[in-house]
Amino acid sequence: MNENSMSIPHLVMSASPVVQLVMLLLVLGSLLSWVVIFQRSFALNRANKAYDQFEESFWSGVDLNDLYRDIPADDARQGAERIFQSGFREFHRLAAKTGQVDTVLEAVQRSMRVAWSREEDRLNQHLVFLATVASASPYIGLFGTVWGIMGSFQSISMAQQATLATVAPWIAEALIATAMGLFAAIPAVIFYNRLSNSASRLLGKYENFAEEFYAILHRNLQGRDTTSS
Amino acid sequence: MSKRRGCLVAFFSRDKREVGYVWPVVFAVLVHVVVVMFSVINLESKDAEPEPSSIVHATLVSTETYTDQAQQANDNQVTSNVPSQPPEKTPPQEEPTPPSRPLEKAVIDQAEELAEARETQALEEARAKAEAQAQRRTEEAERRALEAAARETERAEQQAEEQRRREELARQEQEAEAQRRREEEQARQAQEAKEQRLREEKLARQAQEAEAQRRREEEQARQAQEAAEAERQRQLEGQAEAAADARQAEQAANSFIAIVRRAVEQAWLIPGGASDTMTATIQVRLGPSGEVLATSVAISSGDSAFDRSAIQAVEHVAPFTELRELSAEQQRSLRQFNLRFTPGDVR
Repeated sequence: MNENSMSIPHLVMSASPVVQLVMLLLVLGSLLSWVVIFQRSFALNRANKAYDQFEESFWSGVDLNDLYRDIPADDARQGAERIFQSGFREFHRLAAKTGQVDTVLEAVQRSMRVAWSREEDRLNQHLVFLATVASASPYIGLFGTVWGIMGSFQSISMAQQATLATVAPWIAEALIATAMGLFAAIPAVIFYNRLSNSASRLLGKYENFAEEFYAILHRNLQGRDTTSS
Repeated sequence: MSKRRGCLVAFFSRDKREVGYVWPVVFAVLVHVVVVMFSVINLESKDAEPEPSSIVHATLVSTETYTDQAQQANDNQVTSNVPSQPPEKTPPQEEPTPPSRPLEKAVIDQAEELAEARETQALEEARAKAEAQAQRRTEEAERRALEAAARETERAEQQAEEQRRREELARQEQEAEAQRRREEEQARQAQEAKEQRLREEKLARQAQEAEAQRRREEEQARQAQEAAEAERQRQLEGQAEAAADARQAEQAANSFIAIVRRAVEQAWLIPGGASDTMTATIQVRLGPSGEVLATSVAISSGDSAFDRSAIQAVEHVAPFTELRELSAEQQRSLRQFNLRFTPGDVR
């Protein structure tokens, strides 16, 4: 009787509805956080590889016009490629219309900043959810435990004699909620830190690339300016 | 709305650059399944350990005696098995050999006798033959002498002839006699050998029968032993069951008494002037549903206020509804009990 009543499935099944709801919420949170962990890990890995590839082709000495033409206009790119594409497009359009260097450079910078901010949004997608699970699930689990302990005390007051045997299942069942909360929170915390760190590193790389690209365009325009005047 | 559609598109997208959600979902579910499996397996292995309960002591004592008995029974079984086997096993191997030894000897003796007889016979024959030959030679010599004497008379010759023929006949007869005697001897010997063989066969058959008989007896003995063993086992099991029942009953009674004691202890307001060494024993009689029918002071502490406080404590806690949960037999035995009140116990 004892081993049966202390097994985890039995404890979960015999818990009060509120505690069961809490457990369900925590299991759901854990499941979703793991989905996010896997999805983000794959995505960031891929983005890193894509950036390395693009950087290599950008600095390989190829003509920037050719590089721009290689990217199809209707196919939206991601990462550094996208920043390069939007900046170069803006440069092309404005350089043909106006000869004013400052206007062109300002427009290029603005468009690149927009593209960068979109990339930032894309890379940090879902990471907020991970942070939420990491910080909230211990509290949710604690709530379930407190509720379960309250129920156990009520049952103790009902019982004529309060031995450990009458209280133990209640407490164990209440503590399962905390365990579940921690089980959901710990991976979420670890992977949130890891993933957000790698995302911000990648964004820093994008920023550096944008600056470098801006410097190239600036040099180019400066040269044209002096020759024309 | 549009965001949700975007999500759905991302979910089902086979775009190379965008990571879908199918594999992450699969992996996440896998992780959880593995964790749940591990927790279940761990708990199962933990369940094997005996869990300490409040009545461990009682349980231990009873199982000790019970296992002891079983052990003794096992020991007995072993000791009864060990000596009973060898004496039954040893005789059968010796039994068939003794009759064969004398038999062989007899056969050899007989053969020797036979050979001797044959030798003496041969000697006799040779002597007879030699005699006959000598006779014949003398006769021939005579005849030759007679012939040389130019045939004295025809009659004499005829007589000699006749005599010779007669002698020849006699010799032949003698030879035939000897032959017959030899044959007779041989036939007798053959018969004797046959008889011997028959006797041997009979002996062998008897030995075989004895063996079979013995085996049958052994089998019977073994079956009887097994039956006895099974019987003993059954008895042991019955004892174990009885012990388990008794244990359970004892546990129930113990728990009931513990409940009563604890409740009374909690309700007892010890009067201020009581010392730790004071002891009062209160006899309590319960009704069938646990209500207190009567309380009386069995052994007074000498302080009436102390006794009264103990009785009040019992009355305060009544009724003991837990009594109804016990079996009828236990209820009867627990209807009446004594409670000893000592302040030192509580503090």
